[in-house]
Amino acid sequence: MRGRLSASGAVLVYGAGALILLFIMAPLLVVVSLSFSAAPFAVFPPRGFTLEWFGRVIADEEFQHAFIVSVSLAVAATAASFALGMPAAYALNRWKVPGAQVMEAILLSPQIFPILITGLALLQFMARAGLRDAEMNLFIGHVLITLPYLVRTITASLKLVDRSLEEAALTLGASPWRVFWLVTVPQIIPGIAAGCLFSFMISFDDFPISLWLADAQTVPLPIFLHSSMSRIFDPSIAAMSTLMILTGVLAVIGLEKLVGLRRAMGI
Amino acid sequence: MAAQPVDLALSGLTKHYGRNVAVDSVTLRIAAGEMVALLGPSGCGKTTTLRMVAGLVEPSAGDILIGGTPVTRVPVHKRNIGMLFQNYALFPHLSIAQNVAFGLQMRGVGRAETAKRVADALALVQLGAFADRLPAALSGGQQQRVALARALVIEPTLLLLDEPLGALDKNLRESMQVELRQLQRRLGITAVLVTHDQEEAMTLADRIVIMRGGRLEQVGTPEEIYSQPANRFVAGFIGAANFLRGTVAGQQPDGTMLKLAGGGQLLVPRQEGGAPVLVAVRPEAIDLSPPDAPAPPNGTPAVVEQVVYRGQMTHVYMRLDDGEPLLAYVANRAGGAQGASGAQPGDRVLASWLPAGNKIVADQ
Repeated sequence: MRGRLSASGAVLVYGAGALILLFIMAPLLVVVSLSFSAAPFAVFPPRGFTLEWFGRVIADEEFQHAFIVSVSLAVAATAASFALGMPAAYALNRWKVPGAQVMEAILLSPQIFPILITGLALLQFMARAGLRDAEMNLFIGHVLITLPYLVRTITASLKLVDRSLEEAALTLGASPWRVFWLVTVPQIIPGIAAGCLFSFMISFDDFPISLWLADAQTVPLPIFLHSSMSRIFDPSIAAMSTLMILTGVLAVIGLEKLVGLRRAMGI
Repeated sequence: MAAQPVDLALSGLTKHYGRNVAVDSVTLRIAAGEMVALLGPSGCGKTTTLRMVAGLVEPSAGDILIGGTPVTRVPVHKRNIGMLFQNYALFPHLSIAQNVAFGLQMRGVGRAETAKRVADALALVQLGAFADRLPAALSGGQQQRVALARALVIEPTLLLLDEPLGALDKNLRESMQVELRQLQRRLGITAVLVTHDQEEAMTLADRIVIMRGGRLEQVGTPEEIYSQPANRFVAGFIGAANFLRGTVAGQQPDGTMLKLAGGGQLLVPRQEGGAPVLVAVRPEAIDLSPPDAPAPPNGTPAVVEQVVYRGQMTHVYMRLDDGEPLLAYVANRAGGAQGASGAQPGDRVLASWLPAGNKIVADQ
């Protein structure tokens, strides 16, 4: 059922697409353009062109620290979520686990609860339990919110794997362990990559969990950005935002280079 | 390329899913080098039976013996079985040669020997030129031939075929059937085929096993199954059949005369007792003659309802006077309509056939 778009239909589709794109991109373009503004205050439209704000931000030790905190937090949380989520998704899909549906629902539940409330609950729990290591607390919190993304994407790709491929490998003499590594994993790598990208971005961008669990020494980038903004609103905020956007774009490009974005997103 | 052929024995093989019985105490022996087709409608248990032989499904009860050795508790990857799947199941991320080499690598066969055996196997299915391509670049028929090479290269004790040609179009399927049959004969490998296509079963198999509801209905050569169906189900499943119910009207020197409610009469082998008898008649056995011809000793009057010209045959759909349907295939020998004796819808005709065409079947 693939027809060709009529000329007027094409105008409509591309026109609507352009409008939606503008709606999504316009605020980001404002921020990015401001980060190059020569004016001392963040006002739109930007005046002049300078890279001074980027220089200042990158030279700022507090920013450097927050950036490193956020990137390492996102990498660690993603790695841990993958280590937990991959076997969980596999077991729930391939083995007869009593109460599998309930367990899957529990694994995905952090996505359903308001993250702000989850963060508050975590804070209270950790205070009660005497856990005062902010790095560790942030790590635990971020694993909690990134795990559902990995479980979900890996589950979705496992469901798409043709089971007869695994069965064929078994009949050819591959042990279940080798079937997993030689046949199953190559089929779900795009899903794993997409899940890791989501997870990284969710953690890197997270505000509501970090808001509760950060302390004075361990400040992730979104928290740092927010507190800087309440002090002063100059184009350096825009420059930080642009750097955050850039990190996301680089992650997407990296994924594209690694496995191909279209494959990773299942399109 | 195949190891010494071995026989396969199933003994009381049973599979329950909860309260559902998918396979109900199947006992069957398949001789070394024989090709047997499990044939039946969907849900009859044929696929589950095959998957239990492969080791992909664990039986609830019963035993599987390959070459006299019980393998019921042997995990699938240690059974040394070659299996073909309906969707070919080639590994999409591996080249054709890597696909074929997979089973040899699992067995730790050396590099040089693997390369040689892969080349031999691909030559066997005439796909040597495709070694470096990915499966997606091949047509369905080529992919299934690669799957066949991949299954045979490990020198399996058994070849299991799960609707292997079901996804191919008709012409290709027929040529693949012949190819598969020749290869299986040449290698002398014991094979089990699952299919719901009766022509495929008849083309490929030495013997056909008709299954229904998890049980065996009849086991026999294609000819036995077709000409001597055990019951109504088998007669109706393999080919087309008319079913006529007659009551005993009298004994004759050469058999028993049955009377049909619609007015006809049939001469069948001697029947004891007075119970109604169910007779199956193949449509191609039936001849048609004008209504004023002398009443046949074995036949019935009927009214033509529909005439369908099908090239080799004309299908004549009729109805007996008691409302029962009757179908005749009339051969069109000279290509004209003379075979169908020019029957038109609404015409009364006499349908007759040789008494040998009467097959008494159990009504089940």
